[in-house]
Amino acid sequence: MTISTASTFAAPVVVVEDSDEDFDTLREAAAASGIARVIHRVVSGGDCLAMLRGEGDVRLPLLPVLIVMDLNSHGVDGREALVAIKTDVGLKEIPLVVLTTSSNPKDVAFCYQAGANAYHVKPVQHDQYLLLLRSLMHYWLESVTLPACLTKVD
Amino acid sequence: MRENLTKDMQSALFAPPAPPTIASSGADDPVPWDTQPYSIKRHGLSITNCDAEPVRTPGCIQDHGALLVLRLSDLSVLQVSENTQAILGHEPHELLGHSVAAVVKHEGEIRLRSILATEPTERNPIYAFTLPANGQLAALDVTLHTIDGSAILEFEATGRSQPGVETGFVAPRPRHGPDYYSLIKKTVARLQTLETGQTLCQSLAEEVRVLSGLDRVMIYKFHADHHGEVFAESCRSDLAPWLGLHYPAGDIPQQARDLLAKTSIRPVPDINGELAEMMPLVNPDTGMPVDMTFCALRGLSLMHTEYLQNMGVAAGLTMPLLRDNLLWGLISCHHYSGPYHLPYELRAACEFLAQMGSLHLRAVEDRENAAYRLRLEEVNQQLLSLAAQEGGLASMTDGKPSLLGAMHAGGAALFHRDRWWRVGQTPDESQLEALGQWLVDKVDTSSLVSSVYATHALAAAYPPGAAFADVASGVLAAPLSRSGQNLMMWFRPEVQKTVNWGGNPHDKPQVTGPHGPRLTPRRSFELFSESVHQQAAPWLPVEIDAAARLRTLIMELVVVRAERLAGLNADLTRSNEELDAFAYVASHDLKEPLRGIYKYAHQLLEATPANEEEKRKLDGLMRLTLRMDSLLDSLLHFSRVGREELTLEEVDLNEVLADAMEMVGSRTGDGCTEIVALRVLPPIMCDRIRVREVLVNLLSNAIKYNDKVAKRVEVGFVGPHETPLRGAFPADTNGQTVYYVRDNGIGISARHFDQVFKMFKRLHGREDFGGGTGAGLTIVRKLVERHRGQVWLESAAGEGSTFFFTLSASDDN
Repeated sequence: MTISTASTFAAPVVVVEDSDEDFDTLREAAAASGIARVIHRVVSGGDCLAMLRGEGDVRLPLLPVLIVMDLNSHGVDGREALVAIKTDVGLKEIPLVVLTTSSNPKDVAFCYQAGANAYHVKPVQHDQYLLLLRSLMHYWLESVTLPACLTKVD
Repeated sequence: MRENLTKDMQSALFAPPAPPTIASSGADDPVPWDTQPYSIKRHGLSITNCDAEPVRTPGCIQDHGALLVLRLSDLSVLQVSENTQAILGHEPHELLGHSVAAVVKHEGEIRLRSILATEPTERNPIYAFTLPANGQLAALDVTLHTIDGSAILEFEATGRSQPGVETGFVAPRPRHGPDYYSLIKKTVARLQTLETGQTLCQSLAEEVRVLSGLDRVMIYKFHADHHGEVFAESCRSDLAPWLGLHYPAGDIPQQARDLLAKTSIRPVPDINGELAEMMPLVNPDTGMPVDMTFCALRGLSLMHTEYLQNMGVAAGLTMPLLRDNLLWGLISCHHYSGPYHLPYELRAACEFLAQMGSLHLRAVEDRENAAYRLRLEEVNQQLLSLAAQEGGLASMTDGKPSLLGAMHAGGAALFHRDRWWRVGQTPDESQLEALGQWLVDKVDTSSLVSSVYATHALAAAYPPGAAFADVASGVLAAPLSRSGQNLMMWFRPEVQKTVNWGGNPHDKPQVTGPHGPRLTPRRSFELFSESVHQQAAPWLPVEIDAAARLRTLIMELVVVRAERLAGLNADLTRSNEELDAFAYVASHDLKEPLRGIYKYAHQLLEATPANEEEKRKLDGLMRLTLRMDSLLDSLLHFSRVGREELTLEEVDLNEVLADAMEMVGSRTGDGCTEIVALRVLPPIMCDRIRVREVLVNLLSNAIKYNDKVAKRVEVGFVGPHETPLRGAFPADTNGQTVYYVRDNGIGISARHFDQVFKMFKRLHGREDFGGGTGAGLTIVRKLVERHRGQVWLESAAGEGSTFFFTLSASDDN
C-alpha cells in the first residue's frame, strides 16, 4: 500500500506495521505534521527487507530516509529485519526507529544493540500516541541531518 | 653289579654319624647339610630358624614304625630306616639291595605290584595289607605310595596285636568294635545340619575327640596374615581351654604350612620317641634324599618337638582343613597323658572326617559369606533410600541403620557438606581431617574400580595413625566425589583390643628345652602381640566390595539427583520462557487491540457525542481500557520480578531509602507527609533496584492508604540480637535483621492480612485511595522472597499498619 501525501521529496518513509488502527494513527499524525513524503507501509519485516532490496512488488525510487518498525509482525519479524538492515552495508545508514507495544527491557536492549536509532513504546491513549508520532516525525524528518547517501536528490 | 653297589653303599652307611652340633656359629657359616644330606638326628639341633629347616627331607622317621624305599622297576630295597630290626625283624643290611619280598613275602610283593599297577599311588599313601604278628613283632599295617620314581613302604603297628596293647602304646579299640563307617556316617549327617563355621568347627572338634580319644582337639584357623587362632576346641574337662588364643604366623612356618596342606594326616604318636635315620641318607639311584612329604612316619623337627614338649604334649595328630586347596586351618590334636598311637584304620576315619569337615566348611563359609554379603547389600539399600528421602548423607551416621548397620567395624565417619559425621568409635575430628587429607592423595578418585582404600595396619602406612591405633588400626575408605573431598570411612580397632586373652596359656610350667624360652606359649603370645601391634582384623573381600558398592550407589544417587535437578531446571527454564512468552503476549497482543478500542472511543468522543449519557459511556470505555492496560503492565512486571537474576551487592540502605522517598514524591518534613528513619540503616548485601522497589511500594501504600492530615511513616529495623523487640516475629527470623515500614494510616483488619498479598486483590474501591492495580504488595512479597526473606504485617483497622520484612540473602554474607 502506498499512500501519497503532498510530496515534494522523492525519498520515502517506510513503516512496518501490521495493525491497521495503528497505521491509521500514524498517517493521521503525518498529516497533522504536514509531512510531505511518500509513506510506504509494509506489514512484515520480510516485506520490508524485500522492498528495500528491490525484490518486492513496490519499487522504491530511492532509499527511504526513515524506517519506522513495529517489532512484532508475522513472518520475518521486526527483530530479524532490524538485524538484517543494520548489517547490510547499503542499508545500515537509514535511520531506523522501533515503535512497539513492548516495554520489555530485553527488547529495548536487543534493539539498541542491533543498531536501532531509537526505541519508542506505543502508549494506549490515542492522544498521547499522536503526540509521540508527531514529535518522532518532526525529529527524524525535519531536525536531523542525514548522511550524504540518503540526500543525493533532496 | 648290584652286589657291588650295595656293598659300597653299606660301607658308607655304617660310617659313624656325625656328632650333633649346637648352633653357636656365626650367621655366615654355611649350614652343614649344604655339603652332606640333612638328617634331623645329625643336624636338627643346629637349626635356629624354622624357615631354613628342610622339613620335607628330614632324613629320619619316627621310630615307632619302619620305612623302606623301593626301586619301582624291581621292588628291590634302596633305603631303609635304621630300626628295621626292631620293627621288621631284619637288620638293614639284610634288606638293602634285596627284594621287598624279604619283608613282605611273595604274596606281599604280588599285592604291591598289583596296587602299583592299578591304584593312584603317586603322592597318595594307600593301605596295602597288614603283616601278621610274628613272634615278638607286632602286626603291621603297610601303606604304599610313590614319589620321585621310587616306592615308599611304611610299616606301623595295627593296634590290634597283643604286643601293642601290652606296651600301652596303642589306642584301645572303640567299645563297639571298629565300625568306623557307621560312626562316621552319623557324624557326617550331623555336620551337614550345622549353619555356621563356628558351630561346624566345634562339632568337628568334638567328633574327632570322641573318635580318636585324644585329650585336646583344636580347630586352628589361619588368618589372612597367617597367624593362627584356636577357633573351636574340645578338650578333657580338667584341661584349661585354649579356645580363642592367637599364635604368631612363625609358630607354624611357611614350609610347614605348605607341607600340611599336602599331607592329609600327620600323626605323632610319641613326641619323646626316638628318631630312626635313613640308611643310606640319599637314594642311590637318584642321589636325592627321600621326600617324606606324604609319609605318616616323617621325622619331627626338633624345634616342633621342643615346642610341643614345652606345652607338655606327649602325642599329637594334625590334619589339614582345606578350602579351595588352600590351607584354611588345622585339626590339631594334643595328648598329654603319654604316647598315643592311632592305628591306620582309626587314623583313616579321622582323616575322612577332616576331609568332610573341609567340604562342609566351604559350604558353610560360602553360605555365611553370602549371608553377610546379602546383609551388607540390604543395609546399603536402606542407607541409600534413607539418604534419598532426606536428601543428604547425615542419615549414614545418625540414622537406623547407620554405616555400622552390617559392616563389622567399630566406627564410621563421613565427610559431607563441609563437616564430619561420626558414629561409633572413631578418631577425633582433627585426626580425621589429617587422615582425610592423606587419603585423598592415596586413593585414585577417578577410578571406580580401585577407589576403595583398605588397610588393617594404618599406622604402618600412615605413622600419625599410631595415635589412634586403638580405635582405627583398620581403615576402609571410599571417596564420594571426584575431588576426594567427600569421604566415607569405616574403622576397626586394634586386634589386641578385640582378642580375648582370658585363656592366656600361662597355666603350663615354664619348661624350656635347648632353644630356650622362644619355643614356649608365653613367648609365642608375646610374639603374637608384637605381630598384631597396631593391626586390625583385615577387611574381607566381601566388605571391600560392599564399601565400593555403597560408594557407587551414593555417587549414582548424587548423579541421579544432579540429573533430576538439571531436568527440573530445564523444565523451570522452559516454563519461565513460556511465562515470558505469555507475558509478552499479554503485553503486546492484548494491548494492541486495547489501543484500537481506545482510539475509536477517543475519535467518537471527539466527533461530538449525541448526549451526556453517550459521552459518559465513551469516557467509561476509555477508562476501562486504560485500567486493563495498567493491569497488563502489572502482570508483566510481576512475571519479570520472579524471573530476573538478582544483582547482589553491598548497598547503603539509607541511600536506597532516600531514592525511594524521592520516587514516591514525598520528603521528610514537607508538612503533611513525614517519612522518618529513626536510626541509620545498616549496610547490607542486596539487589539495590529490587529493594528500592520494595520500599517504594511500601512507602506509597503507607501514604496512599492514609486518611490523616499529618501522615507519618517510620522506616526502621530490629537488629538480629535485639531480642526484646522481637516478641511477635516469626521464629525463623531469629538471627536476622527485620526491617519495617510503619504508618499511621487506615490500618488493615487481621482477617485481611493474607489477602493484601494476593495478586490484583484490592480491599478498597478502585477509585478510593488513588486507585492502583493491587499488584504492589504481591510484587513486594515476590521481591522479598527472591532475597530469601519473608514479609508480614501488624495492623488493626484504624490504627495504622506496620509491614515487616527480612532479606536473608544479605544475612548469609
